[in-house]
Amino acid sequence: MTEPLLLFLLVPLVVTFLAPLLSPKAASYLTALAFAVPFLGTLYLLFSGGVADVTLMRLPVPIGRLFLFSDPITAVFSLSICVVSAMVALYALPYMEHRFKEMGLDARSEFRKYIFIYDLYAVSMLWLVHCGNLLLLYVFLEIMLITAFLLIFLYGYGKRQWVGLLYLIWCLIAGVLTLVGFLIIALESGTLALDELMYFHRISTLAWSFVFFGMVIELPGLGPHIWLPWAHAEAPTPVSAMLSPLTVGLAGYVLLRLSLVDPNFFATYRAPIFAYAALTSIYAGFAVFIQKDFKRLLAYSTVSQMGYILIALCVGGVFGTMGVAIQYMSHAFGKSILFMCAGGLITLYGLRDVEKMGGLHDYVPEISNAAVIGFMNLAGILTVGMLGEFFILRGAVEAFGFNLTYILPIVFIFILSGWYGFYTIRRVFYGRPKSKLESKSINGYLYVPLFIIGILSVLFLFPPLSSSLVGSLYKVVSALVGGGAL
Amino acid sequence: MNVSYIFLALFLAPVVSSVPIALAYRRRGLVEKLPPLSAFGIFVSLICSIMLLHFPDRTFSYPWLPQLGIDFVLRTDYLSSLMGVVTALIAFIIAVYGLDYMKGDYRLPWYWFFFNLFTASMLLVVYSDNLFLLFVGWEGLGIASWGLIGHWYRDDDDITFVGVPGRKIGPHLFCWPPSFGGWRAISTIRLGDVPMFLAIAALWALSPEHDINISQMPWEEILAGIGAAGTVLILTMFLIGLFTKSAQLPFSEWLMTAMTGPTTVSALLHSATMVAAGAFVFMKVSWYIQPWELAAHVPGLEVVYLLALLVGLLSALYGALVATGMLERKVLLAASTMSSLGLMFGTAAASCWIHEEIAGMNLALLVAFWYMVVHAFAKATLFLVSGHLIHATHSRFSEGDLELAGRMKTAFVATLIATTFLVGIPPLTAYWVKSAMDEVMEHLLLHEYMLLPLALLLATSITYSAILARFFSLNFFKGEKPHHLHLERLPLMELGYLAMVSVLFVILYLLFERPELVELAHAGFKLSSLAVGLAVLVAFLVAFFKPRVAVLSKIGTFFNDRMYMPFLNDLVCPVVGFAVARLVDYGNRGIDAFFNTRVMPTLFAALSKRIRAIQVGYLRSYTRIVLGLVMIFLIGVAVWGVLP
Repeated sequence: MTEPLLLFLLVPLVVTFLAPLLSPKAASYLTALAFAVPFLGTLYLLFSGGVADVTLMRLPVPIGRLFLFSDPITAVFSLSICVVSAMVALYALPYMEHRFKEMGLDARSEFRKYIFIYDLYAVSMLWLVHCGNLLLLYVFLEIMLITAFLLIFLYGYGKRQWVGLLYLIWCLIAGVLTLVGFLIIALESGTLALDELMYFHRISTLAWSFVFFGMVIELPGLGPHIWLPWAHAEAPTPVSAMLSPLTVGLAGYVLLRLSLVDPNFFATYRAPIFAYAALTSIYAGFAVFIQKDFKRLLAYSTVSQMGYILIALCVGGVFGTMGVAIQYMSHAFGKSILFMCAGGLITLYGLRDVEKMGGLHDYVPEISNAAVIGFMNLAGILTVGMLGEFFILRGAVEAFGFNLTYILPIVFIFILSGWYGFYTIRRVFYGRPKSKLESKSINGYLYVPLFIIGILSVLFLFPPLSSSLVGSLYKVVSALVGGGAL
Repeated sequence: MNVSYIFLALFLAPVVSSVPIALAYRRRGLVEKLPPLSAFGIFVSLICSIMLLHFPDRTFSYPWLPQLGIDFVLRTDYLSSLMGVVTALIAFIIAVYGLDYMKGDYRLPWYWFFFNLFTASMLLVVYSDNLFLLFVGWEGLGIASWGLIGHWYRDDDDITFVGVPGRKIGPHLFCWPPSFGGWRAISTIRLGDVPMFLAIAALWALSPEHDINISQMPWEEILAGIGAAGTVLILTMFLIGLFTKSAQLPFSEWLMTAMTGPTTVSALLHSATMVAAGAFVFMKVSWYIQPWELAAHVPGLEVVYLLALLVGLLSALYGALVATGMLERKVLLAASTMSSLGLMFGTAAASCWIHEEIAGMNLALLVAFWYMVVHAFAKATLFLVSGHLIHATHSRFSEGDLELAGRMKTAFVATLIATTFLVGIPPLTAYWVKSAMDEVMEHLLLHEYMLLPLALLLATSITYSAILARFFSLNFFKGEKPHHLHLERLPLMELGYLAMVSVLFVILYLLFERPELVELAHAGFKLSSLAVGLAVLVAFLVAFFKPRVAVLSKIGTFFNDRMYMPFLNDLVCPVVGFAVARLVDYGNRGIDAFFNTRVMPTLFAALSKRIRAIQVGYLRSYTRIVLGLVMIFLIGVAVWGVLP
């Protein structure tokens, strides 16, 4: 099973270098296809039930084996990344053209630069989740941060260079803290290979703290969250549609991997971390209601949703762990749809100010309906997010019993995301139009990808996709975590 | 024949058949032609549900996530198999009616897609035995109701609003547009759904083998294992989900503003889906929990059922009282539905103290269920008639006199039958069921010394009779002369309510044909029941001939304002919520200023300036630095020396 994994991970990497040579349309399609390969490959691995592992290199102590691997946990993250990256690539075709024109750049030559950085950005995330060695993981983490920074810096809105730097500084702090944490692990355990670390089952509190604080900046938690509205709002929308759904959540992935190695950190500091996570989620959830900028609004919702992930990590056990993974997927699907909706409104009508919106359904029924599916994902209604919420709730009951101080905040947070979702839909799309607009025909690229993601988000709730994905996820997680019953 | 195909067709036919119209949204010509296909999808479901009657009391299981206990487990017990037919039949009749009613609407694809999703979701709730699967249907109901209530999202037509235009009480406008109705519905329902989901997750964690199939769970073991507090907590969480869906107090407001949706939606929402889902699930779960057996061994269970009993009956009385003052046709019916649902909850909850069984089924649950069935057909008829009236008079307020009655004879007759058959006038359909309900509450009085339930039931029954008579009278007899009258032949609509109302005769027949119902209807022959029936008749006649009482107009207005309940939804919650949101916003500005825009950048700029200032090359500054470091070192040494 080793070679197919490497092969299908290499396809998008190769395409990264090929795409700039082609016309924008061909490059976008090629990118989408390139991400379809690992998507299908991961599904194939899931259905065949196999866990793949391919060694790249053996390095001396304290680094250990560099390898790529795939198990059902990575599969959830990898599937989400592939779907979103492929669809955003198609969506970006008209969007970036519009953006280049707006910036007065030559669309064709600029697109080459753009597609290269974009592909590299997406590939780095894909490879990151398949990395079996923390050092390698850190390398991809940095590539991911820098490529995203470049995209914001080059094509963002407003004070894009300032925002780009802001993003870079915050994430570098996050990255450096994480790296220090990794190095401490390396010195203590003599290896950074995840499979060997699994034998040790121990990470010192010091190392954990560095990684935790680093990743909480990236995730982000309350306080550091303040970089996110800037970056997500001012990034060009295809980047927002990757940054928010995929990138920030990968911090959750890193924490998840480490907590599988040693769950004691979250177990020991459960109460304060839980309080912090719940506060983050509720705080950001309330902030959504009064945002004026649509993309900023979505950014706050991301902070709130990342609070779920932190809560699920606190909950731990089999179901908390599964909750993290499924919640990542559901948020990735939902939020990418929503950012693309926001981008559609920008491209068609130059609208970002929610207060000028209202009644937009008349003009853009496609975008309006896609937004409904997006918010259904966030609220966990009839989409794969339902399973995520169900797992988190069960995990919470197993971890906290009927302790209402823990249970009620979780319940409230889930309610809150339903509330702000449907409140926003009404604010933006329904009622009487606040501004008189002319009807325009909408480019298919601006909404078909959204519905493809939407349909997938529903399909992942039902068999056969959920049976194989969640079924094998359960098998692996319960083997890794062990027990987990009351 | 493989039953799995029947189920597949039952659930998927409505959804699949409405996909073409949803996809054709840009092609007006095609959209106008496709609605019959969607209605046909529901017809397929109806056939399937009838076929399932041939497989009584069976459980069918198909794998989904078998290792987690989440599977497609479907059960055709007494309640489900009958309710399935009721749901599909009502949905089909309404769909046919809707072919005429919705003709020319600006949003047909949306309407049919959600209408069919609504039906399919309800069928899923009805048949599913697995709690997670049930919750999938439950969420489907929620989202579909949101879509349908806010169907006319443009908020540009007064006839789609609820409330008197421009009416203000204090700071608050008592008039709601459709998009707001939709938001109110989904926000209230979300408030209940998540606690219910938590309750399901908790049961899932507690159940041995992690089995969450309602009919197979060892309820006694689970509930007795978690003690009184745990039982009360979990079941109350579960009940909140049911109460919000069924618009029981204090979650009733969304149902009133749900009347902003098309009338077909109100008809479906009020009879066999959505609000009925809450009461139905309560019956279904009680059916297997068997509280009458368990209450003795499971501490706390009685408390939960007492809560359901009180909330149900109080909501019943509240709904009936509020309806007496209602000016709008549909809102009056909405309040009366809330009242009926309260009676269903109350009666089903009474099962906790009722040991009497008919053909192996608990009397109270059986009564609650059959009341639900009778109510479904009668209420759907009344809504369908209202739709026709709104169409004809172009007003959502009750108006109409004998002249109108003469010109809309079918509607008049249908209303006459539906109202009289529903309120419990002897010997019409609901009378027999209501008598059994009286018997249940009488039992509580005689054996448990609870006077309140019976008193509430009687007060509700009489008020309820008066409100439906008032509805009848104000629309066909003593109402104002309609300002506009626009009559056209709409055969499918007339056919719709005639078909709907005729089912009430079928049920009347069943009451004297099906053995378990014959036994149930026995209560109707008691003298006390007859007395109640006569009181109901008197109330009906009085209200019919005197639908407005000038002396009571003040209290009527108070009732029409729903005892100011809207303040809870529209004033208290948003004021608190937005206060928090504003606070959060100040917090964000502060954090932003600290990290990103003011403090940290200024500090860094100052620091960097100081560091750069070092590089000026003056010996003076370097000497200062060295001397400063030496001082710090010396102080350090001194402190070190002093330390013990």
